[in-house]
Amino acid sequence: MKTVNMDSVSKHYNGEKVLDNISLEIDESQRIVILGPSGCGKTTILRLIAGFIAPDTGSISIGGELVSKHGRIIKPPEQRNLGMVFQNLALWPHLSVKGNIEFGLKAKGIRKSERKVRIEKILNLVDMADYADRKPAELSGGQQQRIALARALVLEPNVLLMDEPLSSLDLDLNIRLRKEILRLQKKLEFSLLYVTHDQDEAFDIATRVVSMKHGRIEDVSTVASSRNQKA
Amino acid sequence: MARRIFLAFIIILLLAIGMLPVLSMLIKSIIVDGHFTLVSYKGVLTSRHQWTLMGHSIALSFLVTALTVAVGLPVGILLGKTDLPFRKFFTVLFVVPLLIPPYIIAVSWSDLLGREGLLAHLFGASAIKATARFLFGLPGCTAVLFSIFLPIPMLLTIIFLRTINPRLEEAGRLVSGWHGVMKGITIPLILPGVLLSAMLVFLLSFGEFSVPNFLRYDVFPVESFTQFSAFYNFKAATAAAVPLAVVTLILLLVEAAFLRERTYQLCPSSEVEHLPQIELGAHRKWLLALIAIMAFVIVIVPIVVLVIQSAGIDAYAEALNRAGGNLMRSLMYAVIGATLLTFLGFFTGYLIQTKALRYWRSIDSLTIFLFALPSTVIGIGLISLWNTPWTNFIYGTPIIIVLGYLAKYTALTSRVSVTQLAQIPPSMEEAAQVAGARWFRRAAFIVAPLARRGLLAGWLVGYIFSLRDTGITMLVYPAGHETLPVRIFTLMANGSPQLIAALCMVMITATLLPAGILWMIPGIMTRKVTR
Repeated sequence: MKTVNMDSVSKHYNGEKVLDNISLEIDESQRIVILGPSGCGKTTILRLIAGFIAPDTGSISIGGELVSKHGRIIKPPEQRNLGMVFQNLALWPHLSVKGNIEFGLKAKGIRKSERKVRIEKILNLVDMADYADRKPAELSGGQQQRIALARALVLEPNVLLMDEPLSSLDLDLNIRLRKEILRLQKKLEFSLLYVTHDQDEAFDIATRVVSMKHGRIEDVSTVASSRNQKA
Repeated sequence: MARRIFLAFIIILLLAIGMLPVLSMLIKSIIVDGHFTLVSYKGVLTSRHQWTLMGHSIALSFLVTALTVAVGLPVGILLGKTDLPFRKFFTVLFVVPLLIPPYIIAVSWSDLLGREGLLAHLFGASAIKATARFLFGLPGCTAVLFSIFLPIPMLLTIIFLRTINPRLEEAGRLVSGWHGVMKGITIPLILPGVLLSAMLVFLLSFGEFSVPNFLRYDVFPVESFTQFSAFYNFKAATAAAVPLAVVTLILLLVEAAFLRERTYQLCPSSEVEHLPQIELGAHRKWLLALIAIMAFVIVIVPIVVLVIQSAGIDAYAEALNRAGGNLMRSLMYAVIGATLLTFLGFFTGYLIQTKALRYWRSIDSLTIFLFALPSTVIGIGLISLWNTPWTNFIYGTPIIIVLGYLAKYTALTSRVSVTQLAQIPPSMEEAAQVAGARWFRRAAFIVAPLARRGLLAGWLVGYIFSLRDTGITMLVYPAGHETLPVRIFTLMANGSPQLIAALCMVMITATLLPAGILWMIPGIMTRKVTR
């Protein structure tokens, strides 16, 4: 079953076309990386799927259900069951690590006892159980990445959207976290849509790489499975 | 080096204009005939009447603060965060009462609800008893000051909403509706701004005396003013002013300790235009109606009442005849004050924005302290410092009025400059530096032209606040230099309601006309700095 389906989507900003007739499908448990230079429209694709903006033309379906179409958002972001890791992580500075993770659980009306269990579980999974009461500012860059991942995954989303999440890290940490993302994806089996401008990062993570330029898809290539086995 | 020396000079100037009078007042209140004494304070602190007045002041300030924040926050969110129609129009409209002398709003409501008011003429004096009782006292004072200070939490909410990184809200939107995001993320993030606005409203209400004086609600600042102007008891006036300064200082220290470091993540300016917006959907119509009704009651009604009350050429002819000179003087002092405030505010803002000297934060705090300080305190301080035979060229001339404007309102022009300077990439000045330009050249030919919108906006703010000033001017104006707001205030005791209303309308026109003209000239207030 297709988890996400973008059909002939176009988007303009201030009269300038940023996406031109994009069609893209993401299958269950697939890892798709969108690769391209700055300004090619990769982040716009994530924001369209998340439901922050509506496509000017074309439609988007998630789990077989139409979520936006022709300038109209049919399902708001909170009803799409997506997780997202932002480029600047967007950890809420006034909340603790636990508070950041708990926010979504509370919003979904999950009971306190279950919230506690799920927070513990996800923090253990990202190896951050000892940091539950810290504020984001008290964590290192790598630790903040893990918390952003934990926050995005705690609601067990169908699709995880990642917007250049490792771009600000040094190469060493970048490579270690790539492995971490792959480990979590294989364990939790969510679909992953990952945006980057780094070719190495793209081919390290993806099962399929979508290359973009000037708002158009230039090429789609399947990555040799042997390359992913490293993880 | 030139930059550091010049900015150090600006600091010294600011200290001399603002802090020296306050210190002089303090010293003179505790040193009498060369000896340390607290006798002036004894009278103030042991008097039951004074404590009652202090209680009134605190009650009034607390009520006004609670009401303005409770209403200003949601109104600010509606105007700054949603797709409500005519948001900019309503934002400007709500700000109008803040721009005119506070007592004018009180006069207008008195003209409507008072025993001799318009409603009394329509429905009879007996029917109007309850409204008159409401207006003259704590409830009326609270309502009038609420309508005047509402723009402060409203504007600060709008401004702080624009500083939130949109990604923080979007991260919340993935799991929650707008209601949950506002409650759990947005409002906690703008809380420092909301608390800052609460503190400002509290201090401004605490120091305000013209409205309580007119609406006959005895508060502490009136005491200081009365001691000086009615009894000419300078020591008692000073002793009554010091507690006001102390309360201001304590609140600002609390603000500095708890709030200033809690401003979280600033939004990159490039993202300001793409801030997430709440779509009101089905609620749009009734919320629009609610805001329109609020604006009508708070802003339109008081102005319409003054227009009706002053109807007829005769009232305006008499107004210009009796106060034409005062109007011209007011305009002249306001223009001079605004120009100097723009100059001082630009360099203070530059110092704060670039952190060019180690003491930038102290200067920021100093300007805010002086702005928050009740006008009576600054007025008494200026008299205390400059009323000597050697300094009569200041005390006996309008210079003292302008010094009062500079002491009180530099915080405003400095804030406007900081906001504008923050929009200019540091590389602009750095490029000029690399090209060999010295600091004065860089400031004059690169920074100032790029900040021209801020300079113009600063000038307008300086002009409006200098023109509306009553508290300081009333205390310090030399004989023959009475300004229009002071003239209206003194005429209120025995002038006809028609004359007062006409003078108030003249005052409102003189205040808002320049702002309106500049707003309408395309390109002056609307063009952005090229990045």
